[in-house]
Amino acid sequence: MPKSGTIKSSRRNLLKGVGIATVGASLAPAGVAFAQGTPAAPSAAKGPKLLEMDGKAKLIVLGDKPLNAETPAEMTDDDVTPIDRFFIRNNGLVPDAPADAKAWKIKIDGEVEKPMEIALGDLMSRFPNVSYKMMLECGGNGRSFFSPEARGNQWTNGGAGCAEWTGVRLADVLKAAGVKPSAVYTGHYGADPHLSGDATKPSISRGVPIAKAMEPHTLIVFKMNGKDLPLIHGGPVRLIVPGWAGSTSTKWLTRIWVRDKIHDGPGMGGFSYRLAKTPIVPGSKGDPKDTVILEAMPVRAVISFPADGAKLASRKLDLRGHAWAGENEVKTVDISTDYGVTWKPAKVDAPPNKYAWQRFTASLDLPSAGYFEVWAKATDSKGVTQPFVAGNWNPQGYGGNPINRIRVLVAA
Amino acid sequence: MTQLNISHAVVITLTATFLLLGLDRAGELRGPQPTYTPRAAPAAPAAVADPDKGKPPPHNDTVDDLPDGKGREVTFYSCTACHGVALIKAQGLTRDLWDSTFDLMLERHKMVPVKAEERAEILDYLAEQFPPRRKGRNADNPFLK
Repeated sequence: MPKSGTIKSSRRNLLKGVGIATVGASLAPAGVAFAQGTPAAPSAAKGPKLLEMDGKAKLIVLGDKPLNAETPAEMTDDDVTPIDRFFIRNNGLVPDAPADAKAWKIKIDGEVEKPMEIALGDLMSRFPNVSYKMMLECGGNGRSFFSPEARGNQWTNGGAGCAEWTGVRLADVLKAAGVKPSAVYTGHYGADPHLSGDATKPSISRGVPIAKAMEPHTLIVFKMNGKDLPLIHGGPVRLIVPGWAGSTSTKWLTRIWVRDKIHDGPGMGGFSYRLAKTPIVPGSKGDPKDTVILEAMPVRAVISFPADGAKLASRKLDLRGHAWAGENEVKTVDISTDYGVTWKPAKVDAPPNKYAWQRFTASLDLPSAGYFEVWAKATDSKGVTQPFVAGNWNPQGYGGNPINRIRVLVAA
Repeated sequence: MTQLNISHAVVITLTATFLLLGLDRAGELRGPQPTYTPRAAPAAPAAVADPDKGKPPPHNDTVDDLPDGKGREVTFYSCTACHGVALIKAQGLTRDLWDSTFDLMLERHKMVPVKAEERAEILDYLAEQFPPRRKGRNADNPFLK
């Protein structure tokens, strides 16, 4: 019998993990972090569960089965998210690690001239290998901001990370298989068993329009930050469909079925990964027929320093964070410390490549001691910005991207 | 048209033997068995890959992980056939939305169906224990005790 309770939760862990150790360790340079003041220990007696898993940091556990864990904002400060801090999203069980990763087979079939089954080792040597720093973001990121609650794992902003992914272009593989003019959509399958253990049920199978599959940043990936892709992140091989709902970036990839219609696998219907077409009353049942597929993720800025709940020793605050915008580039990030009455532009760095998040920094002089909310709002290259509250409520809570805020207390 | 041949006979005999031995908990048909002694030192495995390497720790809930109430047992056993109780406890839904959640589980996730009265009992339990409860945006202010 497997032992229960291996993912531990306690106030002690919370204080150790989030309150002090994490922030102190994660926010380089340390001197700057402490000059700005140590963050306050959260006052609530009941904290979140923290992940206890080899090779992973103490992420916040949203659910144990399937395992889903998000990265607290103050642990997202790296330009390239380290593997141990990268969020975990599963729909099913984690499959067994293969004895020989290079023998792992991927099938390409459906609307192609030459259906093929290729071993990972052959795939790696046959097609050009490319590396990009790209966002991977859970489709439900930001769900917890909806009111009333929307159904599903209650992600704050931590279902997102930017890793360096190495793989081959899906376009190169599809071209080798010869995409027929009848091809419309892809259907992706992975080796993760259904939660019930029933091998006949796929845990999830999503896809993308052919144009997105052929986009040169859409990759079949086998390395993450230069290391063999870890099992928990879909290793030995997964898709990365950057900027789009993470569920299309199939882990443990076994098959790409090229379809002559929009894919209809589990996770494509109902309210799954869909937004309400006609706005519905928040908290109502809605009509699954009146929905559209969530494709690119919405624009979002997240402050990574200081942490929410930080106590500041002085009124001077050098804050920083990352912003990203699905298919688009972030043009501006604006900061407000007075609930949106006035805004000040942050400095926004260019992305290293398309689909990477962008660093923003701002130096603020808070007007007094006391309590402040610091808000960060990104605007993309199309002029689209973030709402003040999560809008367009939908039963499964997609597209929640209200303006990010942290709460700080300046010492008297 | 069914004819018994030698291989049928063998299969039937073997099956019956295994069944008998399997059901023979008291060991009367097997005679005295050697007592079990653990092997002193397991032979070093020839570099067999550990299929669990890199997996998250196993997780199992018990019925006590759900709050007490009428319908707790049937809710626990129906829902945790697939997912953990943490997912249930994270929700705050009206009975209507719990009802459509049930449909989602049946249709999208291929849940094993339950009887109508069990469904009603589960929905009553979920709606009572996990109603919408999200408070205003300052309900969790870190500087308030």
